[in-house]
Amino acid sequence: MSAAAASLTSPRLRRGLVVPLLALVAWQVITHYKLANVHLLASPSAVLKSFVVQVKEGELFSQLLASLRRDLSGFLLGAFAGLLLGSAMGVWRIADRLFGPSFDAAKQVAVFAWIPLISVWFGTGESAKIVFIALAAFYPVVVNAYQGIRGVSREHVEVARAFRFSRLQTFKKVVLPAALPSIFSGLHLALIYAWLGTLGAEYLLAPAPGIGNLMIDGRESLAMDKVLLGVLLAGLVGFSLNALAARAEAYFLRWRVRNA
Amino acid sequence: MAQVDLAYKIAAADDAVESAPGRSGAYDYRRLLGRGVGWIVPALTLALWSFASRHEWVASQILPAPGAVWQTLLEQIRSGDLFLNFGISLGRVLVGFTLGCLIGVVLGVAMGLSRRVEDYLSPTFNAISQVPVLGWLPLAMMVLGIGESLKFVIIAHASLVPVAINTLKGIRSVPRNYIEVAKAFQFSRSQLLRRVVFPATVPAIFVGLRYGLTQAWLSLVTVELLASSEGLGFMIVWGRQLFQLDLVLAAIIVVGVVGLLLDRGLARLEKRLLRWQPVWDMAGGGS
Amino acid sequence: MSQSAVIDIRDVSKQYTVKNEVLPVLERLSLTINPGEFLSIVGASGCGKSTLLRLLVGLDSEYQGEIQVGGQRLIGTSLDRGIVFQEHRLFPWLTIEQNVGLGLENSPWSSDKKKQAIKEHIELVGLTGFETAYPHQLSGGMAQRAAIARGLVNQPSILLLDEPFGALDALTRSRLQGELQTIWQREKITMILVTHDVDEAVYLGDRVVVMQPRPGRIRKTVNIDVPHPRDRSDPTLKALTEEVRAEILQVSPVN
Repeated sequence: MSAAAASLTSPRLRRGLVVPLLALVAWQVITHYKLANVHLLASPSAVLKSFVVQVKEGELFSQLLASLRRDLSGFLLGAFAGLLLGSAMGVWRIADRLFGPSFDAAKQVAVFAWIPLISVWFGTGESAKIVFIALAAFYPVVVNAYQGIRGVSREHVEVARAFRFSRLQTFKKVVLPAALPSIFSGLHLALIYAWLGTLGAEYLLAPAPGIGNLMIDGRESLAMDKVLLGVLLAGLVGFSLNALAARAEAYFLRWRVRNA
Repeated sequence: MAQVDLAYKIAAADDAVESAPGRSGAYDYRRLLGRGVGWIVPALTLALWSFASRHEWVASQILPAPGAVWQTLLEQIRSGDLFLNFGISLGRVLVGFTLGCLIGVVLGVAMGLSRRVEDYLSPTFNAISQVPVLGWLPLAMMVLGIGESLKFVIIAHASLVPVAINTLKGIRSVPRNYIEVAKAFQFSRSQLLRRVVFPATVPAIFVGLRYGLTQAWLSLVTVELLASSEGLGFMIVWGRQLFQLDLVLAAIIVVGVVGLLLDRGLARLEKRLLRWQPVWDMAGGGS
Repeated sequence: MSQSAVIDIRDVSKQYTVKNEVLPVLERLSLTINPGEFLSIVGASGCGKSTLLRLLVGLDSEYQGEIQVGGQRLIGTSLDRGIVFQEHRLFPWLTIEQNVGLGLENSPWSSDKKKQAIKEHIELVGLTGFETAYPHQLSGGMAQRAAIARGLVNQPSILLLDEPFGALDALTRSRLQGELQTIWQREKITMILVTHDVDEAVYLGDRVVVMQPRPGRIRKTVNIDVPHPRDRSDPTLKALTEEVRAEILQVSPVN
């Protein structure tokens, strides 16, 4: 596999930037020459202005913090539940046979489809949002924890048996480390989905401080620059979370041998 | 590419059931369990649900009885509403998915075969693929409005990401052993691509297709929830607005079942097309 | 189909550069291989024998020195030089028939002639009846036989074999060695076998080239003047085997 993005050599970096720069230019041109519906698409300069305004008089940081707090709660809840179910299904065949098909079916339903139901069952307050975020984080963790544990090589387990490891020892010393890369992938994905879930929950359920709120405000006052600002900030946070998760993954899994 | 590994791992997660090797010493209850075991949890859930609604643990508007949901489902079928919405949803998925797959394969092949193309496209592609489709929805709605094109674009996007990633990975993992055989037999570049690279990549493409279809179905429903006036996703929202939770639940159940059928169908197709697959061992093609 | 030609290896050297360190793999190796002979190249791991074979196939062209076939400089691969690898390297998505036919992909022969050749060579290696099977359905030995058929199907004048039986169990190995000898007697082409198995090298070869490692050089060439078909229990053969084995052990004592 080609080296990680970190080691970009000059020509590669230059080539890689071509498309994003073109996109930025296109964006400015489109809005400047009113090629698309200008009521819907704000220009980059307008968004920038909005950003400055928000930082000065809006409480951009506190909104951000509120979103992140919600995100974290939901993520932890969903990830924890996901690890439980995924590991159970991975370790005990019965759990797999029992819950697998139902989980598979439930997995086919888009998370956002649960919002109408959640809004009735949990209201539209903080708990509803956190439940939704947890749901978004839940699925990828289950899938990856399951796959990680099931994927532990039989050979390694047999070594443990040859040394008469107890079930717990086998789990701690063989299964868990071997499953860790997969589990981390799952957590990584869950982090991304949880953040998206956070934005979605804020946008679709009752208003409360948060980035989603910024977007709602913008939508209601038809201030597209605010909406776009929200979108961009959301993207930025998402990107940072992603980078953080990747770093953490790389750190914890230093020993992993990369193949192909 | 860490991102490619990540997505590939996730895409392959669903295949774990078929190919899972060792386990950590679970008891073998296989003999005690028949094939119907998967139905136990749904059956228990149904029973609990029935019980709860009969004894009115929660108001019936909030938790309609299973019977009511079933009735609503039948009504919807009889009135033709269900088929209408289902048809629209399915149609959108088919168009979007096909589009996404074609683009995805082309992208994956292009990036896989040419380092230059990969240099140009992969940073942008990685950035785009890291954002789940939902993230693009607000932007897409701004640029495309809420017509059919929005749905097609979103669904195509959702499908093309896993397909492209898996195709790319597939092309990169063609064992060098086979390429050397082709060299020894003086294959031209076109022969190499047609007779070696492509067949060797097909299994990986299928992994991408399966994951892409799941993503397509998920994103379809989501778009319909947020920006549509027909389709299964819309039914969910509509039911909520009318405070008819039986409709909501019925629609959710249909979504889940159809999604499952689509996935299983594709798995069947894969099995038939790749009859030669069972053992891809080191003797033939390790690197 | 072409006449067997003399293979001339003159002063061939090759190095690998790993992290700014230069590792010599072959050093000024010279060897002449006569048409129609069965040459075994044997040596401990790291002696460069597989590298030499890859140079002869044409899969690797970075080296110093000259390799000539029939007076012509060797450039790239050729349909006239077949190869059998240690792994069978059959394409899993093709049937045995189609795999064997791969060798004829770029052959100018008519389709009928090709079909005939495929049939004959499948028969030659004893795989009649398995034409439509997939590689995964065959045992290791059978798959390797198919690989041999593939290597021979377009009737090259030289067949190169890189530890072809290394991945097989001893019994299958023994049997296939006998079959290879029979095939060689029938086809009368030049065969160059690289192996670490001394018994195999002596049993099959007219000449055995013993290589020594670090850097790869020819230590000794032993002529095996025993008529074919050979009997493994032949005392001359056994004596020669011990001679070769002693040569190898001298160079790489057990460490």
